[in-house]
Amino acid sequence: MLTAFARAFRTPDLRKKLLFTLGIVVVYRLGAHVPVPGIDYTVVNACIKETKGNNSLFGLVNMFSGGALLQLTIFALGIMPYITASIILQLLTVVIPRLEALKKEGQAGTTKITQYTRYLTVALAVLQGTGLVATARSGSLFSGCNNAGSIVPNQSIFTTITMVTTMTAGTVVIMWLGELVTDRGIGNGMSILMFVSIAAGFPGSLWAIKVSGTIADGWVEFLAVLAVGLAMVGLVVFVEQAQRRIPVQYAKRMIGRRSYGGTSTYIPLKVNQAGVIPVIFASSLLYIPALIVQFSGSTAGWAQWISRNFTKGDHPVYMAAYFLLIVFFAFFYVAISFNPEEVADNMKKYGGFIPGIRAGRPTAEYLSYVLNRITWPGALYLGLIALVPTVAIAIFNGSNGNFPLGGTSILIIVGVGLETVKQIESQLQQRNYEGFLR
Amino acid sequence: MTEITDSIEVPEPDATQDDKDTERKPRRGGKRGKKGPLGRLALFYRQIIAELRKVVWPNRNDLTTYTTVVIVFVVVVIGFVAVVDWGFGKLISAVFG
Repeated sequence: MLTAFARAFRTPDLRKKLLFTLGIVVVYRLGAHVPVPGIDYTVVNACIKETKGNNSLFGLVNMFSGGALLQLTIFALGIMPYITASIILQLLTVVIPRLEALKKEGQAGTTKITQYTRYLTVALAVLQGTGLVATARSGSLFSGCNNAGSIVPNQSIFTTITMVTTMTAGTVVIMWLGELVTDRGIGNGMSILMFVSIAAGFPGSLWAIKVSGTIADGWVEFLAVLAVGLAMVGLVVFVEQAQRRIPVQYAKRMIGRRSYGGTSTYIPLKVNQAGVIPVIFASSLLYIPALIVQFSGSTAGWAQWISRNFTKGDHPVYMAAYFLLIVFFAFFYVAISFNPEEVADNMKKYGGFIPGIRAGRPTAEYLSYVLNRITWPGALYLGLIALVPTVAIAIFNGSNGNFPLGGTSILIIVGVGLETVKQIESQLQQRNYEGFLR
Repeated sequence: MTEITDSIEVPEPDATQDDKDTERKPRRGGKRGKKGPLGRLALFYRQIIAELRKVVWPNRNDLTTYTTVVIVFVVVVIGFVAVVDWGFGKLISAVFG
């Protein structure tokens, strides 16, 4: 099977794509290391060491940015603004008729919506960048660090503007890198970059478990976590591969002297049709209230309530909200990505039908009947997988809730990994090679 | 060419499974919604289970191959990123440190 990886590299255009993707990844990681102008690099490093592990508010976002956020690098904001922007636009598409009309327009309309997403990303990046720079300036980014106040030595307005501009530009570059990967590399660019960010934090956090463990120098904890992680990978793959196949018959047609169609095939409806997107959406939305409180610096009643309940990943209120959001987004995403009426229409056009169901409206109704029922277990599974490790850690350990090996990151890593491997596989098969999955 | 793997069921819940359970009762108005919210919930639950039974789950062989492939891929990427990160970390601290 490992030879398949080698074969992938021996195929000329696949090699080009893989190397291109790897190159983009290298550029992305470089940007995640270069510090933003105007900060004192040594002080930041000292503060990261000093406050390691107890920066719970930024834990998850920091993980999504691959550790770049706390290091205050030029890619500090990561792809978070882009993700938030695309959620907002997808939500708005349902609400605003003009956007809905654009979406129905097809290719041209989608390009327009992508354009709006980019503008919104820039706006959000400016907002988030300003917030981040403000907290870094005041020293509240690293609460508990002695010389946190001297992270930004020169507090003039010009320096601040430079920092915000640099970070915004960094986000725009990341957006561009992601689109390049989608265009000319392997897999979906945004997911690949997200995957890389999470992967970057993995070795460190695994090692931290070993260091903080007590039984047999921490090796027992280390191996236990590893085993649970592998078991979860298996479980995620299992559900990710499960499909409800709806049989479709195509009518045989004679055109001239040749007959067409007459084949039977199926529509695959995955149990987890939405993939990992609900998890990403839910976690980035949940971060927003805490962000607002942090940046407004308000001490009113609501602000205190939010910072009590929403900043720590292992708080019951947070977990309940997380779970509900995941379930909601699972249904929401299935609803916008799979349109039963459209599928039924297409089937009708090409002479296909589900045996026992009439073409047209009854078919659409049947599809949505199945989809509604199959999405429930899928959504609950997503929510549970995302939560179970957090709950377990909260019970057994009581330590940092945004544990980088939590369900969220495992879901994202396995989801993206599976998708990418399948894409490589299909490219290999196009060239008549036997792929990985045999 | 794939074989059809499961049976076809018409989405008329009142007409199919429901009848078996409530045979002794006189036929109600024929429309759904005559049972309480709890009854409808139970029906919905049963329909979910019925759909789940028709799901094609991956077999053992598929599962192990996919899992190993994903794990190998993830480990390779993590290794690559770790090496790149280590290099850049050294480089940046040499330049700015």
